[in-house]
Amino acid sequence: MSILEYNGGAVVAMVGKDCVGIASDLRFGIQAQTISGTQPKIYKIHDKCLIGLAGLATDNQTVFEKIRFRTNIYRLKEEREIRPKTLSNVLSMMLYEKRFGPYFVEPVIMGLDGPDEKPFISAMDLIGAPLLAEDFVLAGSSASEALYGVCESLYRPNLEADELFEVLGQCILSAVDRDAISGWGGVVHIMTKEGITSRYLKGRQD
Amino acid sequence: MAAPSFTVTPLQNVKEQKFSPYVNNGGTTLAVAGPDFCVVAADTRLSDGGYGISSRTVPKVTKLTDKCVIATSGMQGDMITLHKTLKARLVMYEHQNGKPMSTTAIAQLLSNTLYYKRFFPYYTFNVIGGIDDDGVGVAYSYDAVGSFERVKYSSSGTGQQLVQPILDNQLGRKHHHVPTTAAPVNMTVEDSEALVRDVFNSAGERDIYTGDFVDIYTITKDGVKTSKAELKFD
Repeated sequence: MSILEYNGGAVVAMVGKDCVGIASDLRFGIQAQTISGTQPKIYKIHDKCLIGLAGLATDNQTVFEKIRFRTNIYRLKEEREIRPKTLSNVLSMMLYEKRFGPYFVEPVIMGLDGPDEKPFISAMDLIGAPLLAEDFVLAGSSASEALYGVCESLYRPNLEADELFEVLGQCILSAVDRDAISGWGGVVHIMTKEGITSRYLKGRQD
Repeated sequence: MAAPSFTVTPLQNVKEQKFSPYVNNGGTTLAVAGPDFCVVAADTRLSDGGYGISSRTVPKVTKLTDKCVIATSGMQGDMITLHKTLKARLVMYEHQNGKPMSTTAIAQLLSNTLYYKRFFPYYTFNVIGGIDDDGVGVAYSYDAVGSFERVKYSSSGTGQQLVQPILDNQLGRKHHHVPTTAAPVNMTVEDSEALVRDVFNSAGERDIYTGDFVDIYTITKDGVKTSKAELKFD
């Protein structure tokens, strides 16, 4: 049993046309026992940046608090919000600092980057190796293969915001149905220049 | 006389080579049953168990009768023997009973053959596809020791975890908003074959053991048709 599979969970982010989306499941469990079906894994950094954290739940919370601290300091010093690309690099360094005693997290970052608000997604492993992709990124040890399969099939470039919602919704629900330790519904956040639209999905409650 | 006493200390820093009778040569198979047809497909890549490709053109599918096809992933050695054994048993059945084995009977035969080696199993992950005596499409999926179930669609092999959720979504219509009054929609042969090609393309992207070519077998009341699709060679 891998430590990254102790709590389960799945996160996926996708790029659309002038929009980005991120989705996660809602289960919080401890091995086979489910504690809660209303625990999303996605946190808001600011209006143009969301971060999803899969992996060990306690480390997810700690890493998010550290990120929140860093981005608050950044905001005070720079008098602006941190760009998602910059946050990705900051997180990568934070995780590598713990190279020989890592945080057991699998982060996924998404946002609209820079003055052009270009869609940006990235993921990394538990020691901060970054993965910049143009199409989709995902995290979640137990559901990752299932997610790769559906995302590879259902994704196409230049999806509009509502199409992106449908694709992300289908991907996350279909994938977690084949993973015993993820699921209990899902949440999808779609970010456009206008703002963030969040929808909770009803899925199999098992 | 005192019995000799020994102390045994384990050697340090010595790796022991253990012989393993099994190897996974990789690959993905799937079967999709329609109302009056069945599509069975498998890639043709043979890996050496690691990062090497031993061959790009090794078939994983065997036609057993005009109505039944078996596709197997896992260890190639066990696959070849298993298919040989089944074909021999089919010939014997036909001689003794004067007719070819029905797909449902073959399904049971495979289960029994696999369980016979319960304590030194065939390292094989099978799917059977075909049409039953009433002309209805059937698919069966198996584990390595013969536990089987009749299903509408199934996949096995290294790409199973990639492929199965796609089939759930597209064929099982899971999570689609379908009004309860709507009649169930069945796929046509062409749509099923197109879906199978898409699915293998997706699996080939993310699974290193799946690729090269796909053998697609379509079983209808008119017999078994085969076609080959290309996948990426990487």
